[in-house]
Amino acid sequence: MGRAATARTYSATRPYRVAICGNPNSGKTTIFNAITGLNQKVANYPGVTVEKVTGRFSVGKENPQQFTLLDVPGTYSLAAFTPDEYIAISALSGGPGGQQMPDAIICIIDATNLERGLYLLFQILEIGRPVVVALNMIDLAQRRGIQIDFEKLSRAIGGFPVVPVVGNRGQGIERLKQETAKLIATPPDISLNRFYDDATENVLTELQSYFDQAHRTRAEYLRIIFDVNGPAEAKFVREEGHEARNMLERGRTAIRKVWSPLSAAETTALTRRAAEVFNSTVIIDHFSQRMLSDKVDRYLLHRLLGPLVLLLTMVLMFQFIFSWAQPFMEMIDVMFTGLAGWVATLMPEGPMQSLITDGVIGGVGSVLAFIPQIAILFIFIAILEDSGYMSRAAFLVDRMFRWCGLSGKSFIPMLSSFACAVPGIMATRTIEDRNLRFITIMVAPLMTCSARLPVYAIMIAAFVPYKSYFGVLNLQGIVLALLYLLGLVVAAVVSFVMSRTIFRAERDTFLMEIPSYKLPTVKSVLIKVLNRVKSFVVRAGTIILAITIIIWALSYYPRSRAVEVEFARQETTLQARYDSARMVAQAKLAELERNLPEDEVNLSGAVSDALAQIEDEVVLPELKVQLLADYPAHEELVETLSGLRLLQIRREASLRELDNKRAGQHLRSSYFGRLGRAVEPAFLPLGWDWKIAMATLASFPAREVIIATLGTIYNLGADAKSVSLVNKMRQVKWENGPKTGKPVFTLAVALSIMVFFAICCQCGATVVTIKQETASWYYAVFAFGYMTALAYLLALVVYQLFAGIGF
Amino acid sequence: MTYLDKMMPGQRGTVVGFTDDSPVTRRLLELGFVPGRSINYLRNAPLRDPMEVQVGPSCLSLRRAEAALVAVEPED
Repeated sequence: MGRAATARTYSATRPYRVAICGNPNSGKTTIFNAITGLNQKVANYPGVTVEKVTGRFSVGKENPQQFTLLDVPGTYSLAAFTPDEYIAISALSGGPGGQQMPDAIICIIDATNLERGLYLLFQILEIGRPVVVALNMIDLAQRRGIQIDFEKLSRAIGGFPVVPVVGNRGQGIERLKQETAKLIATPPDISLNRFYDDATENVLTELQSYFDQAHRTRAEYLRIIFDVNGPAEAKFVREEGHEARNMLERGRTAIRKVWSPLSAAETTALTRRAAEVFNSTVIIDHFSQRMLSDKVDRYLLHRLLGPLVLLLTMVLMFQFIFSWAQPFMEMIDVMFTGLAGWVATLMPEGPMQSLITDGVIGGVGSVLAFIPQIAILFIFIAILEDSGYMSRAAFLVDRMFRWCGLSGKSFIPMLSSFACAVPGIMATRTIEDRNLRFITIMVAPLMTCSARLPVYAIMIAAFVPYKSYFGVLNLQGIVLALLYLLGLVVAAVVSFVMSRTIFRAERDTFLMEIPSYKLPTVKSVLIKVLNRVKSFVVRAGTIILAITIIIWALSYYPRSRAVEVEFARQETTLQARYDSARMVAQAKLAELERNLPEDEVNLSGAVSDALAQIEDEVVLPELKVQLLADYPAHEELVETLSGLRLLQIRREASLRELDNKRAGQHLRSSYFGRLGRAVEPAFLPLGWDWKIAMATLASFPAREVIIATLGTIYNLGADAKSVSLVNKMRQVKWENGPKTGKPVFTLAVALSIMVFFAICCQCGATVVTIKQETASWYYAVFAFGYMTALAYLLALVVYQLFAGIGF
Repeated sequence: MTYLDKMMPGQRGTVVGFTDDSPVTRRLLELGFVPGRSINYLRNAPLRDPMEVQVGPSCLSLRRAEAALVAVEPED
């Protein structure tokens, strides 16, 4: 290869570029985190949906030299047949045109799996940049009796440094940084053995000298030659024209004369070279020792015990997620309600106050309320991933998932979606096959997430009778379980259909490594969780906020002046009525207090303090009876004070009721109210009136919003207690149409609402996440469209069925 | 000679070759299914598919359809 590395000149301001790459499960991310710490930035590679993580680090105390570190997606080989696979070679070669050419490449090799690491390393050396080899998990290798001669290995790869490291304990990281800095400062004069056969070398030389201007690396030409119809070939032909294609085909024909199939020329050379170097530097006997992991797997992958342990792990995980997240979610809710209340006191009443308190603070609050669940879920997933159990879970369920067109790799995304579809969809990144990944994204939101629970809870409590069967089964519980099952069944059917129509997996395989068990480190888990939570807040959060504000505006405007004036008048009348009654009572009280004996002047204060504790009209008489017994001589005083307190309580309740009525009146006459009435005919076959239709439309940002909207529509206020909402819903009657006077909410209507919410995609965060993860609004709109259509259809069937048999 | 999917769990053997030259074969090669390499068929998943095979130092999972591509000379 001649001089592989040449010194380049740099402007003083530009940090050196270093790329880090390696096999999946080689510990690349752990080492990346150990080198950069929290100095990380997450973005996407252009045009594809693979995450691009970059970090920074520096070497040297005085005059520290700055470096940027690019995390190249883990891969077994640079061979690329899809755009996603093409990222590795493209990133290592400096992207389009090579402007981002790394100054050095760190190649991570799992020391317990050296031979396979060498296969990738020999491909990377062809790029022609200086390479530092990090032999990771060297402690594990030594414990397994694998002895590696570092010096010899370094000589075999042309003199590039080989650094033993233990990534999860941070050992060797400092030396790895220093060797990288040293290598860039003084690149060695390197000459590598050519190990490809003459036919391949001839084609390589011919192409390289003919297209001299393009400065492609040998590694890129290897991809052009061997990845038939791959992205490298497409780009080459696009850039160099048709003649280049002819030349390439002539070259391939020449190689095929010696090798059949074509790719054997490369794989044989690489495998042979890797084995050669491996055999000359390492001595081990694999099968003589039974690994600890294998012993554990006899139980964890046992045909009966394995699935049982998996089920138990899942149940425990969700138990923890729900019980741990609850207090945090309540705390966030209380904080934001408090903040909104406090801000409301600082601002004059009006659209600005409502926008800030209901729109912005409410919107931010609803975004942040997701975080405790997402963070706790990600902690569990990161631990399960880092320990190596996740690959085993995928292994256990693969066959079952394949029945409905998914794969074992869809397991984690589907599992996460029971908490929230957003992290579920984000977790599909580990699925390499594009079609399989898209199917998983399309059906993950059908899992029953936690946001559906408040809707189910209220509908079931109101309309499903509390009936027990056999002492343990309860009808309400059965309905809830059926709703969970409905999501699963619909997901299975949808993925079955999609996998045989629009998303046919082309080369769906389940070739993956089952890594040995490792102890996860706190640092690695925390960094993973932090990055994912951050990307949720930044990506989904901003859009959810925007949607929330739009929905706020639609339900706030137009503000009817007439309604305002009318309610202000009613409020004045109400106040006046209570004020006059109060004045009469207070005059009487003053009279009575004047007549109190000297030693009992404080009595009046004590009694009214006791009365002030009472907030509810219903309990007031009880206290009065007690006070009368305590002060038998002052019956009239106690009566008067109780009367005053009663007036006060009633006054506050009436004002609150008036406020709720006003909010309801405004909502009904808002753009949303009009929209609800306009679309009512479309929802009549589902048994819904325009108020339900409107509340459903308003809950587009998040399903649970329907509860607050129904509360407002029924004049109970947005924070209505579920008991009063349930009572109200039972009383609501049709105001017009053929069913006038009959109750709106029946069991059939409740079921149709629940079925609709089980299947629909009423979740702005999910829609936005689908857009982010598929890099296209098309799929986001498609997911929303098919789910809404399906939800409507099933709700229709359920309503007609149950209404038909008289529910 | 037989194919990997026809072997019994617990059986060992040596990779002989492949039945086709698809990207899947290529991935199998990259993962270590190299002719001449000895393998150890560890176990099946609960529904018999996929299966776990030890190749060199690493354990790999593959489906029966993929295992059918690998020609193996079983050990006695």
